[in-house]
This record gives sequence, C-alpha cells and structure tokens, in this order.
Amino acid sequence: MTQMVSLDKIMPQTTAGKTKIEVKGLNFYYGESKALKNISLALPERSVTAFIGPSGCGKSTLLRVFNRIYELYPKQRADGEVLLDGENILGRGQDLNLLRTRIGMVFQKPTPFPMSIHENIAFGVRLYEKLSKSEMDGRVEQALRRAALWEEVKDKLDASGLSLSGGQQQRLCIARTVAVKPEVILLDEPASALDPLSTAKIEELIDELKSDYTIVIVTHNMQQAARVSSNTAFMYLGELIEFDRTEKIFTAPAEKRTQDYITGRFG
Amino acid sequence: MSIAPSLHRSRKFRNALMMGLSMGAAGIGLAWLALILGALVWKGGTGLALSVFTEMTPPPGDSGGLLNAIAGSVVMTAIAVVVGTPVGILAGTYMAEYGRFSKLTVLVRFINDILLSAPSIVVGLFIYEIMVRTMGHFSALAGAFALAILVVPVVVRTTEDMLNLVPNALREAGTAIGAPRWIVIRSVAYRAARSGIVTGILLAIARISGETAPLLFTALNNQFWSSDLNAPMASLPVTIYQFALSPYEEWQQLAWTGALLITLAVLALSIFARSLTGRREDK
Amino acid sequence: MTTIAAAMPLSMETVRAREAAVRRFAFTDSLFRRLTFAAAILVLMILGGVAVSLVAGAWPALSAFGPSFLTTESWNPVTEKFGALAPIYGTLVTSGIAILIAVPIGIGITVFLTELCPRPLRRPIGIAVELLAGIPSIIYGIWGLFVFAPFLQTYLQPFFIKLFHGVPVLSSLFAGPPYGIGILTSALILAIMVLPFITSITKDVFDTVPAVLKESAYGIGCTTWEVTRRVVIPYTRIGIMGGVMLGLGRALGETMAVTFVIGNAHRISASLFAPGTTISASIANEFTEADGALYTSSLVALGLILFVITFLILAAARFMLMRIERRAGS
Repeated sequence: MTQMVSLDKIMPQTTAGKTKIEVKGLNFYYGESKALKNISLALPERSVTAFIGPSGCGKSTLLRVFNRIYELYPKQRADGEVLLDGENILGRGQDLNLLRTRIGMVFQKPTPFPMSIHENIAFGVRLYEKLSKSEMDGRVEQALRRAALWEEVKDKLDASGLSLSGGQQQRLCIARTVAVKPEVILLDEPASALDPLSTAKIEELIDELKSDYTIVIVTHNMQQAARVSSNTAFMYLGELIEFDRTEKIFTAPAEKRTQDYITGRFG
Repeated sequence: MSIAPSLHRSRKFRNALMMGLSMGAAGIGLAWLALILGALVWKGGTGLALSVFTEMTPPPGDSGGLLNAIAGSVVMTAIAVVVGTPVGILAGTYMAEYGRFSKLTVLVRFINDILLSAPSIVVGLFIYEIMVRTMGHFSALAGAFALAILVVPVVVRTTEDMLNLVPNALREAGTAIGAPRWIVIRSVAYRAARSGIVTGILLAIARISGETAPLLFTALNNQFWSSDLNAPMASLPVTIYQFALSPYEEWQQLAWTGALLITLAVLALSIFARSLTGRREDK
Repeated sequence: MTTIAAAMPLSMETVRAREAAVRRFAFTDSLFRRLTFAAAILVLMILGGVAVSLVAGAWPALSAFGPSFLTTESWNPVTEKFGALAPIYGTLVTSGIAILIAVPIGIGITVFLTELCPRPLRRPIGIAVELLAGIPSIIYGIWGLFVFAPFLQTYLQPFFIKLFHGVPVLSSLFAGPPYGIGILTSALILAIMVLPFITSITKDVFDTVPAVLKESAYGIGCTTWEVTRRVVIPYTRIGIMGGVMLGLGRALGETMAVTFVIGNAHRISASLFAPGTTISASIANEFTEADGALYTSSLVALGLILFVITFLILAAARFMLMRIERRAGS
C-alpha cells in the first residue's frame, strides 16, 4: 500500500514565503514498531499548518519530533532529516534546550506549572534572560496580552495558575510559550479538552499569532483545521497521504483516502 | 433443580460465623490500640508535670525530669534528618527522573525496600563497627548517623512514589519551554510533589523518634546535660529503656511519662503527615 | 501596546546569552544528575556496608567456633564459649507463633474493612490500624512488661497450666511456673506489632482483585465468605504470602518489645512459658556490657545471622509483592 509521495504533496504550490521547517525522509520508531514512515514535507514560515488524521496515525508523533520532546523517553528514536532554517535539528550537535527555546509547544491538556500566574510566565523567560523586575513585569504583561488573557488575570497575578479555568489555563500556557520568543509554536490538540467558547477563543488567538510565528497544529477536529490553517497534511497509519492548501484538501482532495476521511467514512 | 434448604442454611450459617469472626478480629485490633493508649495515659499521665521538661534525669531514688533526654533526642533526630533527607531525596529523584527506565533503579528499589524493613539493631551494629570502634568512643554523632540510615529508605520510597505521581505532561511542558532537566525537576516536579515528600520526611521523623535499638551502643546514654556531639548523649527511648527495667519507682514513673510523650509525638506526627497527603488526594 | 518582536531574527546579543545559558545548563544538569546517581549508589552501599562490617566484626567469633557456633546452645562469657542456638531458636519460635496468630486476625480485619465495614467507618478504622503500626516498639515493650505480663501471670498462664495438666505434649509446652514473661509473652507482643503490617498489605492486595471477578461470584449466589475464600484469597495468594513474609521479617528483627518481656535466658526450654532469648534481645542486652573481643564478636556474629535471615525473608517478600504488583499493573 506504500505509495511514492509525489512532489506536489511535499510543498503546497501556492504558498508564499520561505520554508521554515523541512522534513526529509523521516522515520520514527517506538522500540521496534515504526510509527512514521518516510515522511517528507515543507512548512512555510508564518502560517498555520494543520496535521489531521484518525487517532494513531502519527500526527502527534510528527509534531513531537520537531522539538525532540520524545527524547525524554527511552526506545523512541527518529531518523531522516528535519531542517529548521536549513539546519538539521536531528543532528547530534543540536542542543535540545536551545532548540526548544526556538520551537515552543502547547499540549492537549492545559499544563500550568504549580506556581503563580506571574511565575508561570517568568519561569521560562528567566532561564535565558536576566531581566530587572520591571522588565520582567513588562514581559509578563506583553505575553498575557498576546494570549488575550491579561484583562482576566491582571488583578490576580499572584494567584496559582491552577486556579484558572481550563480555557484560561490553556491561554496561560500559550502566553508562557510566547514569552520565551520562539520562532515556531507547536500545538498538540490544544482545544480538545476545552468547551466550545474557550475553543473559539483559542482559534481566534491562533489566527492572530500566525503573523509572527510559524504555527503547526495537530487536531482531530476537521472543522477546526479548516478554520485556522492555510495548509493541511492528512496522515494515515504513519504515512503522509496528502499535503496541500487547506481549501484544496477540504474541497478537492487528490487522494481517495483523504476524501473518505474528510467525508467521515472512517476515522 | 431445587435448592437443598439444609445446604443453604449451613452456607448461611458458615458465612455469618466467618463474618462474625472477622468483625471480632477488627475489634481485637482496635481493642489493643485502646488498651495500650489507655495504659500510657493512665500510667504516664500521672507523672506529667512541669519538672519533667525542666529537670535533668535524676540519680536512682531521686526525683527529676527528662530534660536532657528530650534535648538529646531532638538533637540527634535533627542531625539524622539533616543528613538523611538530602540523600533520600536525591536517590528518589534518580529513580523517578534520570534513571526511571534503568535497571539500576529496579535494583536500588529492591535494596531500599529491604533497608526499609531491616532490623534497626543491625544498623546500630553497623555504625558501632564503622564509627564507635574506629573513633574509640560512643558519641551522639554516631547515634545520629545510625538514625540517619533509618531515615534514608523512608524518604527514598516516598520521594520516588510521589515523583512518579507527577504527570509526565508537566515534565514535558517544562522541557518544551527550554528548561534543562534539573530545573524541570527542581521547579516543577518537586513543587508538584512537595506535600508528598514532606509527608515522607515527617513519617521518617516519626519512625526514628521512638527508635531505641540503634542508639543503645552508638550514642549510649548520659545522665547529665551534654551538648558535645563527640560524647555519649541521652535520648528519650534509651532513658525509658534503662529506667523501666530499673527497680526504682521514680525511674519507672519517668519511663512511663517518657513513653507517653514519645507516643503523643509520634501519633501527632503521623496524623499531621497523613492529613497533608489526605488533603491532596481529596482535590 | 508593544508586541513581542517574535519571529524577527533575534539580536546577536540574545543569541549569545542563550548559548551561554545553555552551556551553563549542560554543566549544572550533569552535576545534578551525578549527585542523584551517587545518592542512589549510596543506598546500595549502605546495605553492602552493613553486610561487610558485620562479617568483619563477626570474623573472630566465626573463625574461633566454626559452624558449631550455629548448633551450640551454651553461652558462657566466663569460659568464653559461645553458641547461637538458643537465640536462633527463640527468634524463630517467637516470630513463628506471632505470625500464626497475626495472619488470621489480619486477614479477618481486612475482610471486615473491605466487605463489612460501613463506608464512613472504613477510613477511621483503617487509619487506627496504621497508627498501631507507627507506635514505637519500646512502647509495646514497657506495656508488655508492666501491664500485659502481670495479666498473663495472674490469669492466663495458671489457667493454661491447669487446663493441659497431664495431657501429653501440651503439658510440657505449657509447663509452669508462670513467670509472666517468656517466649509466649514475646510472641503475643510480636503478634500485636506485626498485625498492622499484615493488615495493611493484605488490604492493598485485596484491592487488586478486579471488581468483575467478585461481582460475578456474587452473581451466582456466593456468600461473602465464599467469595473471600474461593475468589479473593486464591487470587491474592502470592500477595498475602508476601505480606506474611514482610511481617515475619519485622518480627524476626524486632528488638525492644521482645527485650523487655523475653526474660533473657540463653537456654532452650520445651515450655512456652519459660524465659528465653532472641538474637536481637541478646545483642541489646549484652552488647555494651560485653567485655573481651570474643564476646563482642560473638554478638556481632548473632547480628550477622539475623541480617542474613531477615535479608532472605524480606527479599522473598519483595519478590512476591513485585509479582502481584506487576499483575495488577498489566
């Protein structure tokens, strides 16, 4: 069933701007089992790319390769190339902490750290920058404003991050990620644990952030992919089936399997 | 098929009998607790006076207090905790974090569990061999180290357990922001597991504050006030042991009072420790 | 409002600061990792150190007496003839009786807690049983000596002596005079002490029984006792054995409670009412007063024997509990 991935699937033809992340012949293994099979694609800078597909298709796995978070666990490994601005981040010389300052990540469940709202954001900033108290306060405010959370929390910055609602917690996590000035933001099903109203807020936010960041979002919600992304990749059983402009994927997919998934025939 | 009524009756009877017995067993368990606490309060309470806390242990046949013994226990327990806790937390951290998937962790967990229930008198012999014998004399420091060895496995166990309860998502979030592993551990994992780790330390204190056997031939005993860590030092449990087995009534009375004090301290510590984690579980 | 100039090329200064920070992290992180590793190794070294120091300390006695140290009953500081048989016998008998008493009661309490007890009472009673486990052994000792032993001496022991008078075997097991203290008293105190351990472990392993298994047994009309006897206990057999071994390990090494009430006599008597000694009680009693290298060394050798026995028992216990944990986890 393996198919050659033709060139037009690798790079959507009409995208403007330069390539931020380029994946070449990427394979990924959980121990003996192969979770990603020969993936190649190129993500354009300052736009939103969505990964869709049924659960277990490898879309989250692919996302987790970009910041090498999988390195936390033994027996998970990747081969092939992932180029960030032309530099292979899978190379041995790559410092992981440095990589993660450039590529931020927001997870499925909100993960505020067990500390105050202010500290949640200052924590990441302080790791790499020495700021005065007023500079730090300014940075925290900027980040919270950027995540559209400032108005809701400005009077309780010392409250625990855990005291916020689920949607607020997720925006706090986005603020935290933005605060360390990354170039790429990875979103792993960021709204799947949230109510519709909070989801709408997150989607709005993604739309605003894409002017400054390259955003990659994994979602099992096809409407969401259609709403927020410029390009969409459809994955199935560890393979990249189709990658194109979002409107093309959702209106005139080239592949039958994409068509079947979009129309809800499986997955 | 019909049900034989006699069989049914005998099954019911047997069930009632066994359930009655198990209720009796629970009654026995609770009765012991009541009997022991009752005797302690009854016998120890009568000797409870201010002088217990202000006067030194008396010579035979005289009246006095337990001040030096209480102070000695506090000093040695404090040193033991200061020495043993960091070792325990670090080892538990290795097992739950850096070495979570390593074979060494399995071995350390196994050995640590054995240390956890190893006879404390053997620990006393160990410290006697390596400290008392080489230094040539008994000392408070040797006693404190013997207690420290008992602190380590308790803290290792709870630290590992509590860190394992910290969701991986939180570690991933810390890592994803660019924090190195040790800062993720320090600022995220430790914070999330804090109350559990504190509980472990409290339980360790509760455990060593009543330990007698490892002090018998390390710190020995001292009838007088001593602040010299290099000399023998009195402790509440050893004093109780010595006084209880003596023929003097004043000493026996002090032993009972000391026993009451230790029990109250240990129970208070355990209940406080449990309430810390209990609250966390309710959340 | 200022926006964060992200995705803009970072200034050289920021890049350099980040690289410096990363170098610092590489150092501190490996330092911290090494520290934790060293602590983990230290845990192993503590146990290793205990073993080595005990062997070294016991060597003079072991080389002087050889294997007969294990089989000799006499313990004579004056002639410097030492044998470990009496304390070994006392240790095994007191612990064995304690386990025989504590296991059925412990299982009974567990059945009560998991099947019968009204829900609001479960936690308080469970906590009470665990508090019993936290009471220091010296408390059991002083209570045993001043409260429990006199009670046995006045009421229970004369009763048993009279009851079994003339009955073969039993009459010598329960032979007078009633001292109050002795082997049986120690065993009873030990039983009380290990009861909470056994209870809390059997409770843990009972909880690993899948609810469907119990429900299907109840579904075909089993009584509570039948479910316990035919489903729960067979399913958790290994775990219960592990708990029993753990309790046994505790009982074998228990010192203070026993030292108070065993009577400290280096001899083996047929009667359970007679005073005896255990390994730990001998050490606690005699160590500081032992004069002469051989005497001290013999006591350390007793400690070594205790260490070896408890190590084996505890290792077996952990092994069994690990097996049931793995099954519950999978």
